[in-house]
Amino acid sequence: MPDVLISRPALAGQPVFQSDKVSVEAMAEGHLLQVMGATAMQALQSLAADAGITETRVWPAGYQQWFMAGERTLTSANLEAFTRQLAPGVFVSDQSHGRVRIRVQGPCAAVLISRGTAVDLDGTSFAEGHGAMTLFGHISVHVARTGAENFQLTVLRSFAQSLYEELVELAKAL
Amino acid sequence: MSSHRLSTGGRIDRARTIKFSFDGKALTGHPGDTLASALLANGIQLVGRSFKYHRPRGILTAGAAEPNALVTVGTGGRTEANTRATMIELHDGLTARSQNRWPSLNFDIGAVNGLLSPFLSAGFYYKTFMWPAGFWEKVYEPLIRKAAGLGKASYEADPDSYEKCWAHCDLLVIGSGPAGLAAALTAGRAGARVLLADEGFALGGTLLTDGDERLGAMLSELEALPNVQCLPRTTVIGWYDDNVFGAVERVQKHVAEPDPHKPVERLWRIIAKQAILASGAEERPLVFGGNDIPGVMMAGAVRSYLNRQAVAPGKRTVVFATNDAGYRTAADLEAAGLEVAAIIDPRARSDAAWQGKAKVLSNACIVDAAGSKALRGVTISSASGTQTMDADAIAMSGGWSPIIHLACHRGAKPAWSEAHAAFLAPERQEGLTIAGSAAGLASTEACLGDGAQKAAEALETIGFARVEPAFAAADSVPPAATPFWFAKGSKGKAFVDYQNDVNLKDLGLAVREGYGDVELAKRYTTNGMATDQGKLSNINAIGILAEARGVSPAAVGTTTFRPFYTPVSFGALTGASRGKHFQPVRRSPLHDWARKNGATFVETGLWYRAAWFPRAGETTWRESVDREVLNIRQNAGLCDVSTLGKIEIFGKDAAAFLDRVYCNGFAKLPVGKARYGIMLREDGMIYDDGTTSRFSEDHFFMTTTTALAAGVLTHLEFCAQTLWPELEVYFASSTDQWAQMAVAGPKSRAILSEIVDEDISDAAFPFMSARTVSLLGGKLEGRLFRISFSGELAYELGVPAGYGESVADAIMQAGEKHGICAYGAEALGVLRIEKGHVTHAEINGTVTPGDLGFGRMVSTTKPDFIGKVMLAREGMQAPDRPCLVGVKPLDPGSSFRTGSHILADGAAATLENDQGYVTSSCFSPHLGHTIGLALVKNGPERIGEKVMIWNGLRNEFTDGVICSPVFIDPENEKLHA
Repeated sequence: MPDVLISRPALAGQPVFQSDKVSVEAMAEGHLLQVMGATAMQALQSLAADAGITETRVWPAGYQQWFMAGERTLTSANLEAFTRQLAPGVFVSDQSHGRVRIRVQGPCAAVLISRGTAVDLDGTSFAEGHGAMTLFGHISVHVARTGAENFQLTVLRSFAQSLYEELVELAKAL
Repeated sequence: MSSHRLSTGGRIDRARTIKFSFDGKALTGHPGDTLASALLANGIQLVGRSFKYHRPRGILTAGAAEPNALVTVGTGGRTEANTRATMIELHDGLTARSQNRWPSLNFDIGAVNGLLSPFLSAGFYYKTFMWPAGFWEKVYEPLIRKAAGLGKASYEADPDSYEKCWAHCDLLVIGSGPAGLAAALTAGRAGARVLLADEGFALGGTLLTDGDERLGAMLSELEALPNVQCLPRTTVIGWYDDNVFGAVERVQKHVAEPDPHKPVERLWRIIAKQAILASGAEERPLVFGGNDIPGVMMAGAVRSYLNRQAVAPGKRTVVFATNDAGYRTAADLEAAGLEVAAIIDPRARSDAAWQGKAKVLSNACIVDAAGSKALRGVTISSASGTQTMDADAIAMSGGWSPIIHLACHRGAKPAWSEAHAAFLAPERQEGLTIAGSAAGLASTEACLGDGAQKAAEALETIGFARVEPAFAAADSVPPAATPFWFAKGSKGKAFVDYQNDVNLKDLGLAVREGYGDVELAKRYTTNGMATDQGKLSNINAIGILAEARGVSPAAVGTTTFRPFYTPVSFGALTGASRGKHFQPVRRSPLHDWARKNGATFVETGLWYRAAWFPRAGETTWRESVDREVLNIRQNAGLCDVSTLGKIEIFGKDAAAFLDRVYCNGFAKLPVGKARYGIMLREDGMIYDDGTTSRFSEDHFFMTTTTALAAGVLTHLEFCAQTLWPELEVYFASSTDQWAQMAVAGPKSRAILSEIVDEDISDAAFPFMSARTVSLLGGKLEGRLFRISFSGELAYELGVPAGYGESVADAIMQAGEKHGICAYGAEALGVLRIEKGHVTHAEINGTVTPGDLGFGRMVSTTKPDFIGKVMLAREGMQAPDRPCLVGVKPLDPGSSFRTGSHILADGAAATLENDQGYVTSSCFSPHLGHTIGLALVKNGPERIGEKVMIWNGLRNEFTDGVICSPVFIDPENEKLHA
């Protein structure tokens, strides 16, 4: 049997796109948990810390749904500890392999993302910490603002390559 | 020709020269020119031939409504036909060609149609080409299409790229004339997010023509405001629900060499909280004989070319106008040192304010223009009789029609205003306010004030407090325009719709023949059709119809304004979704594994699935598939089934929820077990099927078919959110989380035992078991299911997607000594048909569980489930419903195809005798002949009956026999091995 068990990132080999206007880059496939139920962002952030899940960030992903994502891979112990603490009626689905994150940043990051999504990305209505499930063109994505000029697109793994290629093509046109 | 460039003036950059060509002739112009102005500056007034009569046509307007000067620009894949010369910004290397002429624009054989015009009136082909009937399609229509028409599209691929984008704003301002600029300034100063779109390449609208000194300062201020985005070269094309506007920006249509990385056009979807429609007004042509001769232009266009591009329409112009616009044009012509032969005004006492040199003829009109390819003169009728006058240009103005199309795209109807002699749209609709001359105002000051006031009002409705209008309101007097629908007594053809060659007589004929309703008249005469959609012609046509019917234009009404306002390229609508990116591609986590094992892929929806895995020496797909199938039945195979839909279902009420969604029972499904489930629609027909496993009391895992993965999740969400909101249940799609592998065949257990750490013997892990398992010595956790689509001893193993390739490699390595092979979707299909398992080939939307032999699965004890009531209907339980059976050829050497009909033996091959059809078929390497599944009337009662399998499309007949749909292992011994 093979000694080495490799997890292959969905966007392995995709070069980082970099220009003075925007950069597009695949993020490390660390962890991504989908939490469902009657809870709140702050509570989840706190529970994550208690379970030893550091460097994670919670994003709203629909009614009573959240994504918790970070670049560090979780251990089974982390996940079990986190799940154990959840209140009754709150559930977690490990989507660390199911969804892939793409970082888009730069002065024209919002312009690039607005090529595909109807979400208003203006800082007054979509400030840092905001997230929304939407479409980028034909592809379902979760858009989150991680900074003034920084965004994170979370996409189903099977669509990741198509989305990445489309983003790079559009980035070249900026 | 007599049009020419003046030595001074205009908003052109005379220091720079632009080279372009028209019909192969090298010409020059300047930055600031349109193709139309540059052609006029070069003395070229004949630019095209008309649609039907091939009449010489010139340039009529200076804007988007141009019906005549349609040219083909570009070469190769960039060829663009029917482009308005008035909208093309001149650029180096521009190549333009005239259309609808042969052999040349100057000498066009098609002009003979003009001689035949008595036979070519409106609707002529409805009456003329009736015999013999067969000639219409083969002779008449091709000839008519060849004789009439506009430009021709290229067959070459467009090399340029396009894109789409979204934008949001507090206020969208459509049009950058005085009202639009005032609105944008008002909103910009108030701190609102403003988008200002204008179809021209320079902002300013009529202020550009007027030479208004305030324009520069207004534009500078707007550009300095960070909250204002100006979009020149952008036509707003439609107004849609939720105040979404469509717009097309011509990003690189004006550059000689487009940057290959940038789009040539961009489609904007603009979500505006409020919008101001400041699109201005369109000047109406006058209908008199010969009003289409090159040299006849709109008065506003003459003024625009004169003031913006320093182009004179001719040396001696006659102004023919029903309103004061004609006098402004006459004044500007005289100021430029050009002769105005006369001002012809149908009104009485209309020259009170005229201070110029030209004489004014009141109560007069032009009845005919003389000339062919260029204007020579006019015939004027007045109270004192008729007179002729030499002229090489006519500037005409029949009044103004507010441009209200966008305001009517969501159902509002224009209403006739006697005071304005024009149709007006409702001035204030939710989210959209009309301002300026689009609302019927006339003067610049009134438009400035109106735009500013209405912008302030619009912003206050969305929460801006005390917005200060940038301009004060000014009194407005409607333009004094007396409708003048046509000149009486014209001898020549008096055109109403230039683009479609519809003349005055055609409309009269329509009324006489019973097509006087405005919608019927449009279809009968083609008035208002084609690329300009009657921007110039509609109102005149309505006036003429009204006069012919003896009613007011209000009683005639308008045709319906629909998006798009101007033609939109397919490229802009497609955006970046072309070629490789026509649609997204979904890649399985085992895609690379399949590729390195030599898979041939097939598109299934958006997915690329491995279809088969050819080996050396195999020359046909059948050889590969037969080998794979036989090997699985004898040894084992590994198939990627990651594309099947997977849904995690959580909640204390998850079991109760599933009990309502599936027609069979799930509430009592034990933890660690899977069950095949059938979902019905409300009408009792099967919607989808799949297995659902229980991992804990409040956690289920559902699989769906590949095709309906998204549909089923949507269905579940709908049920949870709207049908049973009282149930605590949550869903998460995990299709992409898991790399799912089917390992099938008698040796599958032996192989997987080397991968799975736990005991997977039949005793420890019997059929329909489902559990989380440890893999490869605890390196990984996966989900193992003892389920089988092939009918063999089989498992499905799910591992986190990133590990899919590694684990698949490990399984292949472990299976090597057992003879494992990779197999694809084709072999999967053969295996399931051999076993009599159904897919959506059988679940075709018209079958019940009973039709497929699952009748006993349907719960009779559950109080309710989706589809229960309707399933009980008489017809759904009728004994003669088509039911699932197997079919095979009597002669194993013969074959049949999927879709073939089943006929009773000896029955004639007609659809009346249809007894059912073959839903799936394949060659069974196990049995050595073709097999099929079929839905046949009374099917299960007819096992052993000889039938005819008839393919009517290919006229194929195969003697067959109805049999059990289970071709292998009917006792299910393999499953339970």
